[in-house]
Amino acid sequence: MFLSLKGVTKRFGEVVAVDHVDLDLSEGEFVCFLGPSGCGKTTLLRLVAGLETLDEGEIRLEGHDLAALPARMRNFGVVFQSYSLFPNMTVARNVAYGLECRKWDRSRISERVAEMLDVVHLGKDAGKHPHELSGGMQQRVALARALAPEPSVLLLDEPLSALDAKVRESLRGEIRELQQRLGITTIMVTHDQDEAMEMADRIVVMNGGRIEQVGTAEDLYWSPQTRFVGEFIGRLNILDTPALRAGIDTPSDGAVLAIRPEHVALSESGALEGTVQRVAFLGNTMRLGVETGGQDVEIEVHGRRRRLQVGDTVRYDFPADRVCRLAATPA
Amino acid sequence: MSAADTSSPSSRLFEADRLFGIVLVAATALLLVVFVLVPLWAILKNSFVTPEGIGLGNFIRYFTDARFLGIVGNTFEVGISVSLTTLVLAYGYAYAIQRTCMPLRPVLRIVALLPVFSPSLVQALGLQFLLGRNGLINRTFGTEIDIYGFWGIYIADVVYAFPHAFLILSAALAVADARLYESAESLGAGPWRIFRTVTLPGTRYGLASAAFVVFTIVITDFGNPVVIGGNYSVLAVEIYNQVSGQANFAMGAVIGVLLLLPAALAVTGEKWIARRQFASLTSQSVPLKPQPSAGRDTAWFVYSLIVAACILSLVAIVIYASFVRLWPYNLSLSLRHYQFDVQNGIEPLWTSIKVAIVTALLSVVFVTGAAYANHAYPNRASRFLYFLAILPAAVPGMVLGLGYILAFNTPGQPVYWIYDTILIIAFCNLYHYHAQGFLLATTNIKQISTTFDEASSTLGATRVKTVWRIILPMIWPTVLGVGVFYFMRAMVTLSAVIFLITPSTQLAAVSVLYLDDRGALNQAAAFAVCIMATVVAFLLVAQLVLRLAGVRGVSLVR
Repeated sequence: MFLSLKGVTKRFGEVVAVDHVDLDLSEGEFVCFLGPSGCGKTTLLRLVAGLETLDEGEIRLEGHDLAALPARMRNFGVVFQSYSLFPNMTVARNVAYGLECRKWDRSRISERVAEMLDVVHLGKDAGKHPHELSGGMQQRVALARALAPEPSVLLLDEPLSALDAKVRESLRGEIRELQQRLGITTIMVTHDQDEAMEMADRIVVMNGGRIEQVGTAEDLYWSPQTRFVGEFIGRLNILDTPALRAGIDTPSDGAVLAIRPEHVALSESGALEGTVQRVAFLGNTMRLGVETGGQDVEIEVHGRRRRLQVGDTVRYDFPADRVCRLAATPA
Repeated sequence: MSAADTSSPSSRLFEADRLFGIVLVAATALLLVVFVLVPLWAILKNSFVTPEGIGLGNFIRYFTDARFLGIVGNTFEVGISVSLTTLVLAYGYAYAIQRTCMPLRPVLRIVALLPVFSPSLVQALGLQFLLGRNGLINRTFGTEIDIYGFWGIYIADVVYAFPHAFLILSAALAVADARLYESAESLGAGPWRIFRTVTLPGTRYGLASAAFVVFTIVITDFGNPVVIGGNYSVLAVEIYNQVSGQANFAMGAVIGVLLLLPAALAVTGEKWIARRQFASLTSQSVPLKPQPSAGRDTAWFVYSLIVAACILSLVAIVIYASFVRLWPYNLSLSLRHYQFDVQNGIEPLWTSIKVAIVTALLSVVFVTGAAYANHAYPNRASRFLYFLAILPAAVPGMVLGLGYILAFNTPGQPVYWIYDTILIIAFCNLYHYHAQGFLLATTNIKQISTTFDEASSTLGATRVKTVWRIILPMIWPTVLGVGVFYFMRAMVTLSAVIFLITPSTQLAAVSVLYLDDRGALNQAAAFAVCIMATVVAFLLVAQLVLRLAGVRGVSLVR
């Protein structure tokens, strides 16, 4: 394995921020740490970067233990959420900084700086200071700065969350494309599931300092293993009432049954019947809140012409292959 | 949290960054111990030394002596009365400047700060010229006002303490949430009710903080009481008389301990209050912008002009007196007092400037270093370091100075060699004002996001490189501010250095005292003017440097 984490644990006083995390990354992979705030994803990234010290466990890069290496000797490129460009230096000096620290030749430095700035399309802004650039441009400079010293791993700590929605969208594609072109192993921390699903090869869903599930976007969407993952990625109906579970094997191990709103099939011949409580028209989709047997079921309908009204009665089915069994997540 | 420290392998002990941190913290701590704790310990130890051995004899003798008890009473009388007066006057003045639209506010602000630019005895000197036996008032109106004693100290110290209270209260009044005022108004509250229920509670921490600061400054002030106190003695003067007059170091040490206690209490109170000050404004607050109101603005303008005139008159009369032939008999103008043909001539001024420059340079290195060490290496050791760094706030200058002679004036002491050089004076200044300089630097360093540190280290930089390339270029205006603060204080301080000067290291502020003591009032005035001119000139240069570098928002006067 290229980068491997074993039993990685970090405590802040009484709080266990990262709790025995095991994870393997292969070379050139793009992995996202996804989870709500406080789930330990940023701490885990900082442990990999060497900005925090491990309490337990080990992190190995190509078999070498990193414990004794401080951040500055790991040769990992890090991009922070915001404001990490040195305000007293020009864009070019910022990008050159890591190279100067590595004692590169002057001529090689200026070549590399020019090359990196071209890569992020900021060649003409080399002489500007960070405050003269927009947020998106600053983050591209930060990316160039992190990549300039040819790091073995690129670490991105919520790099897009301080930016406008529009800029965020375009940078997503840009970062992903750059990562693939350079083939650099990358870890990105985010709390935005769309971002994770669009960019990552694999997503690590974290909760309470632990890994809930690791998998591709499809894995997580189609077969979430825990209730937490199911609810965090996309929307989910948990089937609580016996009326709704009719005809489905009820799991005996404390797991719950669930179905996504878009998988509920409306049909005249449906086995279940409910009353429409809410209707939200969202353009190409319509989201219904339907009450059946005392429980609210969310149903998403695509491309339906006739608008349903509150109080209408609808019939629907839970297709058997769409109902998933989720392990209850420990609190 | 310390688990991380203990579990890291010992091989990292000598890794460059750790080594830098250890050296930085250790060096800072060592200096603080040597130049703060050791002198304090010397004072404490000496206060128990009696001819019959170690014991409480000195304290017993002190507290059974009615004269000494009277001095303690005097000190508190002055401390409390001056604090109350200064608070009221300065609050009004700061309110007028921050909360009204009266004209000339920038000018009035500078006038309020004038007393900071001169040694504390200059207010008393000015008062002598104005209200003394041969003062302007008595000569002009034939009155026989006797200003020497309580009232002299009272007036001089109110003026002396005024800028310190003004700065704190002005900062407290500068921030306010307009929404509170709008709510109060829409609920039908009148101006007086709004003041009582919104303004005053909003600034209560500033008020308490100013009260403690002023009280400490006043009870430890030496310059004004020694010049104008007459027979009304206070602790700070008494300690000088015991030590310099009678070479009674043990008694000096006893008074030192007595002076240390109330000052320490006041400082502890101030820090305690300062810690709960922050939550008063949130990011959603709407800044209050004073609206013009002719009647109110005029009233406050008149008030401010009167206060400013009082402050200005004390400074102006000193400047005037320095240019007249012989006060008050021959008022024709002359430059003869600027020839300084007495004593060491002009030499003490140059010594003072040298000391001030050395102090400023030392402060730039050591005070900034201490602030960075405390910020960048948070652990148990640095909490002790923080305590040591702000401890000097509770140590009156006279006490620290006496501690320096007691601790360092012994041949064979490792730092004995700095005795009788300007270095001992510079170090004494450095640590006398350490708390203020340290807090100034710390506040600024804290504002710099730690991301810069982290970004720098992930790019491969060592701590030293990060400090040099990233941190310093960002905080240099504050570092300069610390240097300017120290330069100013070193130029005007009297209390801490009065025990440390020798004939070869006499200082300008002390020359003013000696000249005044000797009755050479005109020359004393001229010397005082030179000090003020130097401070103001230095301030202007520093301001110019900041302006040229395009730095805004760094206020140099503190």
